[in-house]
Amino acid sequence: MFDTLKKIIKYPRLTQDYPNRSLTPASFLGQTEIDTAKCNFCGECALHCPSQAIVLDKSARSIGIDYAKCIFCILCEEICQVGAVQTTNKFELAVRDKVTLNNHALCANALRDTPLSNKSNGESFYKTAVINEENLPNTSYETICSDLQATVKKIFGRSLQIREVDAGSCNGCDYEINALNNPFNDLERLGISFVASPRHADMLLVTGTGTRNMQQALVKTYEATPDPKLVVAVGACACSGGIFRDTYATNNGIDALVPVDVYIPGCPPRPQAIIYGILKAIDRVK
Amino acid sequence: MTSNLKGNLESKFALKVFSGKEFSETAFPLATNQVNINSQTTLASDKDNSQHVSFSDHDDKFWQEQDNVYYLEAPLAKVKEICCYIQELGCPLVLMFANDERNFQAGYAVYYVFAVREEGMLVVIKTKADPESMEIPSISNHLHAASGYEREIQDLFGLVPIGHPDAKRLVFHGNWPQGVYPLRKDFAVGQKPDFAQEKIRFQEVVGEGVYEIPVGPVHAGIIEPGHFRFSVAGEPIINLEAQLYYVHKGIEKLAEGQSLEKCLFIAERISGDETFANSLAYCQAIEKIAGTKVPARAAYTRVLFAELERLTSHLGDLGGICLDAGYGFANFQFQMMRGWAYSVADELCGMRFLRSVNKLGGVRKDFVSGKEAKLIELLLNIRSELEDTVNIVKSNSMFIDRVENTGILEPKIAVDLNAVGPGGRASGIRYDVRKAFPYAAYPNLNFKVPEHNNGDINCRMNTKIEESFEAIDLMIQAIEGMPVGKVCEPIAEVKPYRFAFGLTEAPRGENIHWVMTGENNTLYRYKIRTPSFCNWPALCHAVKGNIVPDFPLINKSFNLSYAGNDL
Repeated sequence: MFDTLKKIIKYPRLTQDYPNRSLTPASFLGQTEIDTAKCNFCGECALHCPSQAIVLDKSARSIGIDYAKCIFCILCEEICQVGAVQTTNKFELAVRDKVTLNNHALCANALRDTPLSNKSNGESFYKTAVINEENLPNTSYETICSDLQATVKKIFGRSLQIREVDAGSCNGCDYEINALNNPFNDLERLGISFVASPRHADMLLVTGTGTRNMQQALVKTYEATPDPKLVVAVGACACSGGIFRDTYATNNGIDALVPVDVYIPGCPPRPQAIIYGILKAIDRVK
Repeated sequence: MTSNLKGNLESKFALKVFSGKEFSETAFPLATNQVNINSQTTLASDKDNSQHVSFSDHDDKFWQEQDNVYYLEAPLAKVKEICCYIQELGCPLVLMFANDERNFQAGYAVYYVFAVREEGMLVVIKTKADPESMEIPSISNHLHAASGYEREIQDLFGLVPIGHPDAKRLVFHGNWPQGVYPLRKDFAVGQKPDFAQEKIRFQEVVGEGVYEIPVGPVHAGIIEPGHFRFSVAGEPIINLEAQLYYVHKGIEKLAEGQSLEKCLFIAERISGDETFANSLAYCQAIEKIAGTKVPARAAYTRVLFAELERLTSHLGDLGGICLDAGYGFANFQFQMMRGWAYSVADELCGMRFLRSVNKLGGVRKDFVSGKEAKLIELLLNIRSELEDTVNIVKSNSMFIDRVENTGILEPKIAVDLNAVGPGGRASGIRYDVRKAFPYAAYPNLNFKVPEHNNGDINCRMNTKIEESFEAIDLMIQAIEGMPVGKVCEPIAEVKPYRFAFGLTEAPRGENIHWVMTGENNTLYRYKIRTPSFCNWPALCHAVKGNIVPDFPLINKSFNLSYAGNDL
């Protein structure tokens, strides 16, 4: 008992005060960036990219990375002959709008027709959207969405209950979400906690590509979560399918199955990147 | 008894050695003109006879360098007898898989892989399935470990195991239509068959007061998805059936036809917390095919990373066991040390999950140079804290009472199901890939493999504790003994239709990858078997007779990967 007490007082505080104080600059690998001024548009990186995240238009001399697809493997940095690719330690990459995850017009066009239009999912999954069109005949989706968002903020205030759903990840993201409860991150200090059932949750934190076998479970979990609710896609798989895009058993991101509020890129995103994304979803960070 | 296994098999069953050269001949018919007709029937022992004109010296050397693996071709009718014979000699079935070899006029091949662990040797029995009936004789009634593999092959290739005691679906759930087999070569990877509506059948236990508890796939904790069906009467569990494959992503199919470089990144994402063990197994297999010798500095670096992964994983598991027993203080101690282990990873490579470290032919860069003193300091810090914490935990009689004699995996069952890793070692299996099939720099380093016999949570916990200390010592040895030199030997073009095994000891146990190269530096077939595949059935046995509230604790003591099992 005495030893236990001794240990408890030995390390007074390990918790990092993120996001109130930024992290001490570390050498970890974050966002990869392409310097278009240095790039010679040889196309080697786009050719080798394991998740086809690099979009290149040689004739227009434009290149960009789609961070929804990027698996942060830094292979492009290794391949680049002219040193145009740099890996920074930026990790606060979560966004509300998936299109802003790529800094390239070509990607924007390619992306526009992917979410929620995946034909193979069948009719049954369309009903999962929060808003039922028949009940609200004269309102546009945009208005409904912005109204809903305002309601969400008002209702959730500054506290949040999260249910985590693994919809087909490699378990990397899940270990990082687990790490949110460790002494270093201690998510509860921000008024955010994990709950055991979707029926108690305000937010679903979803990892994985949305596999064929998890599809129904994910939609059921979503439906079991009381409205209003938020969905956050964690990791490259949940954002776009990542390296597992386009196989017989996966979907290209969970937004093919349920509406997503915030996308957190990364493979896997660091715990602080997940905290940033969660806070972004409830508007506690700008 | 096993020393002359190969000779016995050849004489007793009149088997011929299969070298894989036949593939190259079918794939490159031009070369066959020069081939000596005898070469197809040549036994391995005759390899040195310089009869094979069509293959360069390098090729002959290649097949000989794999001489700890024997491929023997057997007729379908004899397979059962042969497999039983090998098992009786004490060699477990460690892997079984099928391959669509119709391109080589070889139909569907089924490979049975047995390990002769005392000698560090693999014996592979290869047979062809009957192409008309698409049937193979089931060996599951005699070799229980084969049950899962046969069901997997049935789902992915459509080869029916005749005589299987319970040949229900494994990989696919009720939503997958009948008659669609994704690992056949004529199935395109992106094809998405219509959704079927079949009911999943579970084993039924009937009797007075028996009821079922369905759990999952979405659990209460932050873990991966899986469905557990408990049959209980009162508190004790009578039967547990685990319905897995919720995170099946089609990894084996995805890898086919992809470049060797991309498959490395796929291998890193088989199971998040076993990133390094999986990428290492893949690299070793490809390096074997390419005939590349990894530089010594890279081999030591690989040990360092592999042990760091083991330490991180075990610290998390130990914390999890304590948490599920309601021992919060110990959980936070272990989580704190796990956090420190992650900071070692950050210090080394900037990635908490050790991704983008391995490279075909070595490692990506010199990760260790200049950081030696800092790393050793961090590791010694973890070591002293671990010592203190373990002393406190082990002297807590309330906690030990909970874990002792709970969730016993009987040694007989462990052997029958080929339980591997800490789960197997806690039940009396004396086996560690690092000792039996030495790789990287392990032959040059000193370490002990824990030996326990009781098979309960306490034994699994102690195994992990001892392995954590060994891992720290191994890392320090690797850092101190690391030779100078380059860290990567680039891989040249890889010849098509070559195959090799890659074996590593992942934190959860024996990890086997089998790759077969395709044309233009791609993969033709990638078979992955992570330790979780073997240990899931073992877990279902270990919970029997225990009370339901102890299930999370038993589950955590194995801490199996769903992603690594489901692929």
